[in-house]
Amino acid sequence: MTADLSLLLPLAVLWPMLLASLSLLPGWGPRMVTLLPLGPLPGLAAAVITPRDTPVALPGILLDGGLELTGTGALFLGGAALLWFWAGVYAAFYLRHDGRPTSFALFWNLVLAGNLGVFIAADIISFYVFFALVSLLAYPLVIHDRKPASMRAGTVYLVLAVLGEVAILVGLMLASYGAGGAIGIEAVRAALALPSTHPAALGLLIAGFGIKAGLMPLHVWLPVAHPAAPVPASAVLSGAIVKAGIFGLVAFLPLGTPALGAGTVLMILAFTGLFLAALLALGQAGAKSVLAYSTVSQMGLVMGVLGYALAQGSAPATLLPALALFTLHHGLAKGALFLGVGLAPTCGRAWRWGLMAVLAVLGLSLAGGPLLAGALVKSALKDPAGALGATLIGLSALTTALAMARYLAVLPRSKPRHRPPVLMALAFLALAGAALWLPWLLYADLADKSPLATDLRAQITDAWPLGLAVLLIAGAAAVGLKPPALPEGDALGPVQRRAAALTVAARAAMRAGSRSLRRSRPKPQTVIAEDLDRVEDIFREGAAAAILLLAVTGAILASVLI
Amino acid sequence: MMTFAPLLLVFLPLVAAAVSFALPERLSSWRNAANLGVAFTKLLVVAYLLNATEAGLVFEWRYEFLPDNDLVLRLDKLALLFVTLSVFLWLMTTIYAIAYFDRGPNLSRFFGFFNLCVLAATGVAMSGTAITFFLFYELLTLATWPLVAHKGDDKSLRAGRIYLSYTLAGSVAFLAGILWLQSLVGAIEFAAPPDLTGIPALTLTLIFILCIGGLGVKAAIFPLHGWLPEAMAAPAPVSALLHAVAVVKAGAFGIVRMIYDVYGIGTVADLGLGLPLAALASVTILYGSVRALMQTDLKKRLAYSTVSQVSYIILGASLIGPYAVIGGLVHLVHQGIMKITLFMCAGALANRMGIKAIADLDGAGRLMPVTMAAFSVGALGMIGLPPVAGFISKWYLGIGALQSDAAWVVAVLAGSSLLNAAYFLPLLYRAWLLPPPADRPAIRELATTRDRMLILPAAVTALVSLGAGIFASLPFSPLAWVTLIAEGGYLR
Repeated sequence: MTADLSLLLPLAVLWPMLLASLSLLPGWGPRMVTLLPLGPLPGLAAAVITPRDTPVALPGILLDGGLELTGTGALFLGGAALLWFWAGVYAAFYLRHDGRPTSFALFWNLVLAGNLGVFIAADIISFYVFFALVSLLAYPLVIHDRKPASMRAGTVYLVLAVLGEVAILVGLMLASYGAGGAIGIEAVRAALALPSTHPAALGLLIAGFGIKAGLMPLHVWLPVAHPAAPVPASAVLSGAIVKAGIFGLVAFLPLGTPALGAGTVLMILAFTGLFLAALLALGQAGAKSVLAYSTVSQMGLVMGVLGYALAQGSAPATLLPALALFTLHHGLAKGALFLGVGLAPTCGRAWRWGLMAVLAVLGLSLAGGPLLAGALVKSALKDPAGALGATLIGLSALTTALAMARYLAVLPRSKPRHRPPVLMALAFLALAGAALWLPWLLYADLADKSPLATDLRAQITDAWPLGLAVLLIAGAAAVGLKPPALPEGDALGPVQRRAAALTVAARAAMRAGSRSLRRSRPKPQTVIAEDLDRVEDIFREGAAAAILLLAVTGAILASVLI
Repeated sequence: MMTFAPLLLVFLPLVAAAVSFALPERLSSWRNAANLGVAFTKLLVVAYLLNATEAGLVFEWRYEFLPDNDLVLRLDKLALLFVTLSVFLWLMTTIYAIAYFDRGPNLSRFFGFFNLCVLAATGVAMSGTAITFFLFYELLTLATWPLVAHKGDDKSLRAGRIYLSYTLAGSVAFLAGILWLQSLVGAIEFAAPPDLTGIPALTLTLIFILCIGGLGVKAAIFPLHGWLPEAMAAPAPVSALLHAVAVVKAGAFGIVRMIYDVYGIGTVADLGLGLPLAALASVTILYGSVRALMQTDLKKRLAYSTVSQVSYIILGASLIGPYAVIGGLVHLVHQGIMKITLFMCAGALANRMGIKAIADLDGAGRLMPVTMAAFSVGALGMIGLPPVAGFISKWYLGIGALQSDAAWVVAVLAGSSLLNAAYFLPLLYRAWLLPPPADRPAIRELATTRDRMLILPAAVTALVSLGAGIFASLPFSPLAWVTLIAEGGYLR
């Protein structure tokens, strides 16, 4: 029976791929959009019933790859599959009249396959294949509506994704070589702790996964890409796809062996992101951008703890269950918050108050409101975070709460007399419920103690930053204080402007430098290309002579030498 | 069968060539049938040979050509790798060429030389001695010229002239190199590498430079690559075959033979020749990519991409490590199937919609989705994205470079990946995401004139490039076969 159950792992990725290929059949696009919720079901089942730590070999596939479900992987897999399922239900309704159903169903399912595959890959080649799927094929989801802003967001996304892919590929190459050519994830992780492995490997992997997970200076794609995508796609981008980057770090960071340099850098960047991103969120005008920044902030928290553990050399067992639980809660809650953005315009009158209430509870939970699931997972994560980390996590409740208040303030207006569609409301409520309930359910398993045994009183006293936040919000509302308007993608604007200026300057310099070489030719080519063309032409005319000369010289030398 | 198998492989295209030359244009359907029949028969023969060779048989045919200089056709595993690639791609290109030309002028001549070209490529693959190799190598040069100049306009004739002046000069250098070596050690047989002890290092180095320089012309190593972009004047089926298997691969294959079966990796390492060649290959990889980025013409961009990609093979061969050899040799196959896909698609786009410049690609995906899907697979594979085959080559090359203490090569590979992304992704962006210009034929109009045979070969090779990546560890996958080759003697 176990053999049969472990077959769910390959099915978890093959099934969405099959659905993706079905959507290519002429005329099947709209039908496959309706069937979107089917995609993650085998993955969800696998997360629940597949035996843990039992490798499934896939002989002949890639470099003799394999799949394996670890305990941590199961939490990531289950959370992601659940989110993909409800987002799929939501999308089936939300996009029922969409103009590009084939494209959406195709790439939704492929990205889903890659996303779930990342959590169950047992070797680095399969991992890399899945990671490329989830990373690159999300591009068509980002630009789905083809608006100019979305296209720009897509370009930023794609450039960073390709850079990340290359960084990860090189990092994996170096690490795999350090492991003597082994490709098992465990062997490669062990090799990353060896002093003989190229030191760049760890840095490249952190950078590559950091791009996906929104590590602070590499986060710029998130706040532009998440608002661009359709609502259900934003939900999985922020709730599940970003987690692929976190899981990459979890899978490859050699926890247990102190790596002071890399760990400290990761911790500093991530904790900076934790606060800075939440503050940047306050200046956003769109609800989805606020949520995107909040994701950067929350992932900063996770990566900060990972960085601390890496620097300290803490054993993975002390950290990973709490971390997986935290990401599970964040993924589901953030997914529900995104779905709420799409739901808001449809909630007239009393529905609006109901929606706001659920969203407020979710936001409060993310900020670590006492007795909510968020407080539980945060308190679990404080132990492995060290004294400083625990303090920062506690303080972050303040900024997170402010960001969530901003989210509620900029939520789209409702059209009066509208009722929310049943399917969309159901998906939203189910996700919200799962986010608030699942951590309580799973906590006992992971921490070996009942959640009620935790110090509930401490949860309440530790919530003083939340109280401060409430006072600040109330104060701001009372005096009508408005935050400054900040552009989405903060650092992106100046970088793009500077890059444009550099390009212009370089072009001008090239043109000036090569004017002497250039005859005026009416060709739509760049200056340097023309010059190289000319050089190659000169070569071409003289090639035979040059090569013959080489031969003759060789022959003469030969006769001299012999 | 044991001795005649190699002869049969050479004889079959000769039959097709003779039939093609003999039949007049009006009997084109007979000619097409003969071409397809022979190509398919050859594929069956190769399938049998693959099985037999895997079981350990080696087919050899020997004929005394000059005193002490035998003509030897020998089907070892490496030869069969190249033979299989050329036979498969030949069949695909034949199907494609028949649809592409339909009823154009001078097709008897075209298919005649086309078959001679394949005969020569097969011969190059199976050559067991340096002299045999040279004969077929020259036949290849000469049989390709009428194909490059096929259109007969000024541009094609100029391309043909440049092609000949490059390759003939290269041949002279190569011939000088092997004759010089033969004068020192006697006839060179690949199966029994010559004993090079006692020959001064300088002499060996010079001979190596002559041979690699000569072969490097066809393999388009910088700065000997100039003919390749010019040869774009040739019709699309020729470009496809030229870039994927016939000419550039013959050069790369010759370099692999020189390093592994004439000099031996020990000697190459002792002479310190591997590193400079690897450096030159790296320069070619980056230079080709940068030049590709600058092109505004689709076929020219693909041509410079070939310059870059073929040097992966040379890079792998010159790094002299177990993984690097595998990466280089497997790229011989992978680059072939991916690049032929790209060229057949480019030809189909030009044929059906007159698309030649990159700027014309807008909206091509909407009008010709299957063609552009195949093109996309090829392009993503060239970038090295999994699970397309190109990724497997890149992985083995990267690990191989590290095994040979050449970590800088990994940086070259990463840089090349980024450059490849920079010149391929904009093509896909234009084709899939930008609206087609108003003067394009409507989808319905295109559908009425659709010729499935023009699209089918590219679709098949695209699927094969995907399969070669996804099922890389199955028996008889390119990777599995190359691993057999490497274990059978290239890992000493």
